[in-house]
Amino acid sequence: MPSVSFEHVSKHFGEARVVEEFDLEVADGELLVLVGGSGSGKSTILRMLAGLESVTTGAIRIGDRDVTTLPPRERNVAMVFQDYALYPHMTVRDNLSVGLRLKSAPKAEIERRVSWAAGMLGLEPLFDRKPKQLSGGQRQRVAMGRAMVREPLVFLFDEPLSNLDAGLRAQMRIEIGSLQRRLNTTTVYVTHDQVEAMTLGDRIVVLADGRIQQVGRPVDIYRAPINRFVAGFIGTPPMNFLSGTIDQSQGTTAFIADGVRVQLPGNRAAARPSEPVTLGIRPEDLIVEPGGEGGGPPLPDVLRGRVLLVERLGGSSHIHLDVGPPPHRVVAAVSNDVLPDVGASVTAHVRAERTHLFGADGSALR
Amino acid sequence: MRAEAVEERSGWLLAVPYAGFLLAFAAYPILFALVLVVLQWDLVTAPTFAGLDNVILLSHDARFWQAVANTFVFLAIHVPLQVVTALALALALNRPLAFRGFWRASFFLPVVISGAVVAILWNSLYATDVGLINQLLARVGVAPVPWLTDPRTAMPAIAIMVTWKNVGFYVIIYLAGLQYIPRSCQEAIELEGASDWQRFRYLTLPLLLPQTILVVTLSTINGFQLFIEPYVMTGGGPLRRTYSIVLYLYTNAFSYQKMGYAATIGVALALIIGAVVVLQRRVIGTAEAA
Amino acid sequence: MRSVRRVALYGVLALAAVTFIYPFLWMASSTLKPPSEVGSLSLFPGHITLDNYRKMWERAPFGRALLNSAFVATTITAAVLVLGSMTAYAMARLRFRGRPLLNAATLAVLMVPGQLTLIPLYTVMVKLGWIDTYAALIVPYVFNATAVLMLRQFFLQIPQSLVDSGRMDGMGELRILFTIFWPLAKPALAIVAIFTFMGSWNEVLWPLLVVRDQRLMTLPQLLTVFALGGGAGSIGVSLASAMVLVVPVVVAYAFLQRYFIESMAGAGIKG
Repeated sequence: MPSVSFEHVSKHFGEARVVEEFDLEVADGELLVLVGGSGSGKSTILRMLAGLESVTTGAIRIGDRDVTTLPPRERNVAMVFQDYALYPHMTVRDNLSVGLRLKSAPKAEIERRVSWAAGMLGLEPLFDRKPKQLSGGQRQRVAMGRAMVREPLVFLFDEPLSNLDAGLRAQMRIEIGSLQRRLNTTTVYVTHDQVEAMTLGDRIVVLADGRIQQVGRPVDIYRAPINRFVAGFIGTPPMNFLSGTIDQSQGTTAFIADGVRVQLPGNRAAARPSEPVTLGIRPEDLIVEPGGEGGGPPLPDVLRGRVLLVERLGGSSHIHLDVGPPPHRVVAAVSNDVLPDVGASVTAHVRAERTHLFGADGSALR
Repeated sequence: MRAEAVEERSGWLLAVPYAGFLLAFAAYPILFALVLVVLQWDLVTAPTFAGLDNVILLSHDARFWQAVANTFVFLAIHVPLQVVTALALALALNRPLAFRGFWRASFFLPVVISGAVVAILWNSLYATDVGLINQLLARVGVAPVPWLTDPRTAMPAIAIMVTWKNVGFYVIIYLAGLQYIPRSCQEAIELEGASDWQRFRYLTLPLLLPQTILVVTLSTINGFQLFIEPYVMTGGGPLRRTYSIVLYLYTNAFSYQKMGYAATIGVALALIIGAVVVLQRRVIGTAEAA
Repeated sequence: MRSVRRVALYGVLALAAVTFIYPFLWMASSTLKPPSEVGSLSLFPGHITLDNYRKMWERAPFGRALLNSAFVATTITAAVLVLGSMTAYAMARLRFRGRPLLNAATLAVLMVPGQLTLIPLYTVMVKLGWIDTYAALIVPYVFNATAVLMLRQFFLQIPQSLVDSGRMDGMGELRILFTIFWPLAKPALAIVAIFTFMGSWNEVLWPLLVVRDQRLMTLPQLLTVFALGGGAGSIGVSLASAMVLVVPVVVAYAFLQRYFIESMAGAGIKG
């Protein structure tokens, strides 16, 4: 039995359709990440699950219970907010216990759960402090602790790491992941950060304009994005796109653009000749080599260009290339072994078998 | 129940008392004020329809128009005096000072004191024979002035007192404005070699225009509501020279039980206040554009 | 040159301060002087006497008036804080039909001069039979549009996540208001409390209209009636009665002057 299911859920604010026909099941114990830009509807979906917003149409079930019209407190879910939403005038201990006290839970039970959560998160030394006296990471832990003591059926995370600096964010990401695996509680996690989505999620839901774009395991979405939006959204640096057409004149299927010819693997039955298409190449699927000046016929699976910029990241580097005409920028992610100089002419070999092809409507052609 | 429905219901439950209050104690009295204009009513017998009698009476009522004239005399003294004193004290306070809090608190002290107390106190200060002010004047050889019993000095005396009572309030307004004059502007104009006066005239004063408009508007509205001071100090005399509009309104309602007429005065006062405030804003606005 | 100007500046400030403070000191000292000394400029009475206070106390019910004023002002302040914050919470935090209308009405009410509604309100009090009751002194003041606006403005700054979190913790709206918003809104509540209390404590026109029974009079009203009716008989007695009204205010002001200034100046500008 799925732990959470959304059945054709839509949310309209007047004319604005914030969420359209959201249909999804979350498995028991799963960590599901909703990822999308602002206005994608991800937060609204979470708030509808929490009961903070109502659904316009559709139904939401938690376990075998229809919670569509229940108020938040009767849904047995707990939420960690972006700004933590700790009650500023209460101590850490009171912040942890307030939910249970409001439910008039027995004292011993409150005590047990608070010390259990505090133990797991290392909060005991902070018990008598007020939120103002805590660091960002500590506040984050208290917010998680407050959710844990309620022993909910589902955890909800609303961009919990976006107020932290980069180093702490990476650390808390790991903590949240391992905590979730230990507790094995169904979790719905909202973020705009695709790295967070990739590293944390058992499954990812990519959202745009209130609609599901793709659902799947992170690696599957990365390898086989269903459309151009997902392809560009997931992965850093983002996928490179080249516009061109299909050529089947030589008995095989190839992508052609000005000075570029990339042999496409398989027959790509969906692709029709002379249809405008977009070729997607991940930065790590470009192999940069020096040389390759001048015109001549396009070499298969090669982009020729000039180095615009080399970003050294330490372990690896990003090379920005101008592969025009028309002036067109692509990024290659390379190891640091041989780095070209800025302005140098280079060739970039495309790993043709790993390219992605998208039709005029943006959907992937396979 | 759905989240929005809960909000809708709680919102209504929480707002309904206030909405009821506004209807009963704001909307209804405003409408009823307009109804009262066409009624004659002594609160004992049933009200009778009077048509435009109240309005016609008001237009010929020499006492009402004298009260209006008195109020304008009051404003002509009070408003400019209020602007000048408040601005001067605010400029003095807006410097690095020892005991800044003390100075500010002392200027503000009369603001927290009831107008009734201030009136009683100044009654004593203005007293012709034993009053503090005439005592001080005697020290420098000035003969006692019958401040509140001479028709020529009574209203100016009250205007000075009200200015004294309220100046601290307007000082705070000007101080708030002065804080927003960028330090860099002051330094720039100093580098240009401007004198203190030029700096005040071409930088401070124009930048304080919004505060000046506020001070003029508030002190005008406040001035139109003059009541307790003449009520306590002069009873409207001498020769009705300190009779204010509100005092006349109060007398009609309380002493003569003429509710329709009193309400008519109230409506007229509201219209006069509105007209004067709009006019002031126009004039100051044009001055600004020029 | 610089130091001359500094001395001049402090001279002006000191003169101004004396102008504002000296009358009150003179008032305080005059109440302790026998009638023969009232005309003197000196702040130090030749003979200290409490006669003025005794006479004042004997001639009019000032103790009762003090209690009336305290009761009326306290009740109004409590009502404005509780009811006003409930309204402000709804107007800041709850989406309901009619909210924009209520907002507009609140702003409109602030534009109407009190004198317009004075007589109609008075007739309402007469019709309700509230003349010479506490209800007439209190009920028309239990809400305050300025207070509603100020609290609403403050509540708008509190993060929505605290409301959400409270709801998920199972709090009702009132509990969110009083256990989360109130502790956070202490400065705003203090400001509203001070200007409401002071407004009520110093109000005199409305009580003059709706109360004639001496036992129900508030201090400023009794003071006015006492001074005008000739009950005081002398300046000293009259000023002594004023002291009853002034002393509590000045004591409170001495301790909380920063809040007083912020509160009364702020309310005046918004109101």
